[in-house]
Amino acid sequence: MSEKDQYKNRIELLQGTLDMLILQTLQWGPQHGYGIAQALRLRSGDVLQVETGSLYPALHRLERQSWVQSEWKQSESKQKARYYRITGKGKKQLASDLGRWERIVEAIGSVMYVKPEASGS
Amino acid sequence: MKWFPSFGFQRRKRELQEEIDAHLQMAIADRVARGETAETARQAAAREFGNIPLVQDVTREMWGQGWLEQLGRDIRYALRQLRKSPGFTITATTMLAVAICANSTVFSWIDGTMLRPIPGARDTGDLVSLQRGERNFSPVPPFSYLDYRDLREQNHTFTGILAYHHDWITLTGGAQPERAYIANVSANYFDVLGIKPLLGRFFLPEEETRPDAVPNVVLGYSLWKTRYAADPAIVGKSIELARHPVTVIGVAPEGVVGAMPGIREDLWVTLDPLGTDVWRMTHRSGGAVWLNVIGRLRPRVSRDQAAQDLDTLMHHIVAAYPDDHLGENRITLDPMWRSPFGANGYMSATLPILLAFAGVVLLLTCANVATLTLVRFVSRRRELAIRQSLGANRMQLVRQMVLEGAMLSIVAGVVALVLTSWTSKTFAWFFPANSNPSVLNGAMDYKVVIGIAVSSLLAGMLCGALPAWRSSHAPAVEALKAESASISGGSRNRKLLGALVVAQIALSLPLLLCSGLFLRTLRNLAGANPGFEQDHILTASVGLNIAGYSHDDEQVIRHKILDRVSALPGVKVASLTDWIPMTLGHKGEDAYPEGYVPHPHESLQVYHAEVSPRYFESLHIPILEGREFTPEDDEKAPRVLIVDQTAARRYWPGQDPLGKKLRIWRSLFTVVGVARNSTHMLMNEAPEPMVYMSFFQVGYETIVQVETEGNQADLTPAVENAIHEIDTRLPVFDVRPMRESTQIASSFAVIQSALAGMFALIGLVLAVTGIYGVVTYRTQMRTHEIGIRMALGASRVDVLRLVLVQGLWLTGIGLALGLAFALGLTRLIARLLYGIGANDPVTVVSVVMLLGAMSLVACYLPAHRAMRRNPVTAIREL
Repeated sequence: MSEKDQYKNRIELLQGTLDMLILQTLQWGPQHGYGIAQALRLRSGDVLQVETGSLYPALHRLERQSWVQSEWKQSESKQKARYYRITGKGKKQLASDLGRWERIVEAIGSVMYVKPEASGS
Repeated sequence: MKWFPSFGFQRRKRELQEEIDAHLQMAIADRVARGETAETARQAAAREFGNIPLVQDVTREMWGQGWLEQLGRDIRYALRQLRKSPGFTITATTMLAVAICANSTVFSWIDGTMLRPIPGARDTGDLVSLQRGERNFSPVPPFSYLDYRDLREQNHTFTGILAYHHDWITLTGGAQPERAYIANVSANYFDVLGIKPLLGRFFLPEEETRPDAVPNVVLGYSLWKTRYAADPAIVGKSIELARHPVTVIGVAPEGVVGAMPGIREDLWVTLDPLGTDVWRMTHRSGGAVWLNVIGRLRPRVSRDQAAQDLDTLMHHIVAAYPDDHLGENRITLDPMWRSPFGANGYMSATLPILLAFAGVVLLLTCANVATLTLVRFVSRRRELAIRQSLGANRMQLVRQMVLEGAMLSIVAGVVALVLTSWTSKTFAWFFPANSNPSVLNGAMDYKVVIGIAVSSLLAGMLCGALPAWRSSHAPAVEALKAESASISGGSRNRKLLGALVVAQIALSLPLLLCSGLFLRTLRNLAGANPGFEQDHILTASVGLNIAGYSHDDEQVIRHKILDRVSALPGVKVASLTDWIPMTLGHKGEDAYPEGYVPHPHESLQVYHAEVSPRYFESLHIPILEGREFTPEDDEKAPRVLIVDQTAARRYWPGQDPLGKKLRIWRSLFTVVGVARNSTHMLMNEAPEPMVYMSFFQVGYETIVQVETEGNQADLTPAVENAIHEIDTRLPVFDVRPMRESTQIASSFAVIQSALAGMFALIGLVLAVTGIYGVVTYRTQMRTHEIGIRMALGASRVDVLRLVLVQGLWLTGIGLALGLAFALGLTRLIARLLYGIGANDPVTVVSVVMLLGAMSLVACYLPAHRAMRRNPVTAIREL
């Protein structure tokens, strides 16, 4: 129970962000769950380690919202796997997620790098 | 067990598994490619992946169908638990099924009668029944045609008002004359009811009062089916009614039986089809008051507004024709479910009370099943505690327990549904054959099904949720630590168990008391003297007036019947009458005693019956003053009356009633005799003034009444033959002994006592088994303690007292509460009792004693067992 709650919290924390990362990863082409996790890890320089307990719920949720589609295909290593592909709707979502993300970064940045004299003295 | 495979759930589950397998395979392959051994790669990949079932679980939640699977799992778990204790499951289901069935049966009877007052009619909730004058349990038709027409045309609150007069007639023209129930109706009758013809048409407004050379008739569906073989071309054909040709203009749809609740009409004609009733159509009082009236309220008009509207109109009518409207003229409106015309007056006095009893039975059963459930859960506390510490949250546990209660009550509901489809039809059993064309029975429709669903839902909640809520409150750690000996459920559970036992006793006491009162009422009714002889009396109706004879012919035939039947061997006395007492019917008329000033708002209505010479002799009703009728009291002689004591006392208190005069139907009658009071309708009626008139002066219907020497039933064929010898075409109906006819008067008492008796028996069994179960259970829980007490020197009597006292304490509280409840409740049934007070001390004491004694036995058995235990084994037992 408690472990499950932790997962849930983390999903909520990363909600939107993880979705955005997954959608961005799929921009480069259809990918399976393992591939997405690997891609995120590699591209973030091993900083982002996506838990499977967050990744798969997120993938299934994205599919339910029709932002991604899935199909079973053979991988290069002859492994049958479920490949996810971003849809048109997903691309729109990604654009809006990205916009929001940039605004947040900007907002946080302006708070963090505020000049000392601006705080008034 | 596959419960929900159709949702593709299993397939998606499998795919998720494969997806995760693929993930792991790829992870392993990557690690092997990096040089790890297969075994370490596999372990590392699994570690990295995490808890597979958990990942599956959280992922599945994204599908939005997780709850369904969870419900399926909970249901399977609940079923497994219930299967584990078949004794509990079967007992609880049976008890609940019986209790739900008791409710649904009574409800189906209400549904078939009160809630379906006019079969086939549209929106019967908008229909109201009009009554004029003093409110009365069994009124006679209250309106004249002219008054009705004024109300119909001048009101502002009704979309339509119909009028009808219920009667019977002979269908002639076939091989055998046949009695049929007919109604004279206003032209808008079917329109106001919202009924469309199956064939042909109904009446047109201009036909309402217009006599036709060949009158029109509308046939009821069953008559069309049986007598006219469902002839599709019947419309336009001529049939014969009382030897008059009439034209069929339409057929009513199946199920339509007319506007009087519970009473069947076979065919319909207009108000004055032959033009022979002109007098009745053009007057406002006396014999012209002959119509029952039903109105359909306009949308958004309340019954009170409509009553006020009509009352104002009636005031104008009374002011315009004061002589025709002496006495009380206030208009009251009743919804059809309790309309005093027809059967619903009786139904609404009886059935809701029985439904309330059934409701008490259901509550009682729920308390009993809740006790069992609680005991079961208390003994499952460790299991629940373990599950709780393994991660099940409290809500899940409660949900599972509630589900167990729900499973029980659903199964019980289904059983009750099956049972009710049969028991709903048993209502007709209570009504012996009688001269009323009653069509009373229960109905099984969606309302009953909803009723069952609601009762079982309620039962499920009470049986499952309550104990579940209690049980789940126990902290897991404590329950795990506690040893069985000290978990007699903890003090909170003990209190709840005690409260449930008290509730069962408190609920069963009123049931027992009411059934005791009803049973004694029934016995009193059976033993009561109605004031007339019921044995050795045979009555037979002759359809003379409805068979189309001329008036003079009728009189000749009546005399012939009297002569022939009197001469039959075995006949002591023969007489003619047009009314049989205690058959739920009576005739009423406004009477104006000369020299009597009525109180304001006093009803001047009297009951009346037309009887021939020797009528009083055959029924053994003594004439206290004056004389009986003689053959000389015929049409040529002055009109005479015999009054009963009630009438004499009311109109001429302290005076000699003989020679006094009464005006009825605008003719003056002279009182020639006073008869002793006898029962008119029901044993527990308030006595109404009764006047007897001479049959050969004003008699209408013909009923032959003979007092026989031997068994009255033996004379049936002889009497019928004697009548048929005069004219073979004379229809003879309802030939039956007086005692059989009067049975109908006590049929409601029979229904009440039969049902209340059954309910009380169920209540008694439940209460006694309830207290037995709880005391036994508690004693078992205290076995260890009792062993120690005995080892320390407590005597067997001490042990007996210990166990007994707690049981009796509960019984005492239950009885006290129950008595208060019961004495409040009996006031509701006071009106239905006869010869016994609602708080009759003998009944109260015996019921309390019975319940007390049964509880004592129920407590004694476990106490006795505890007393006889060997202390050594008792201590060892944990």
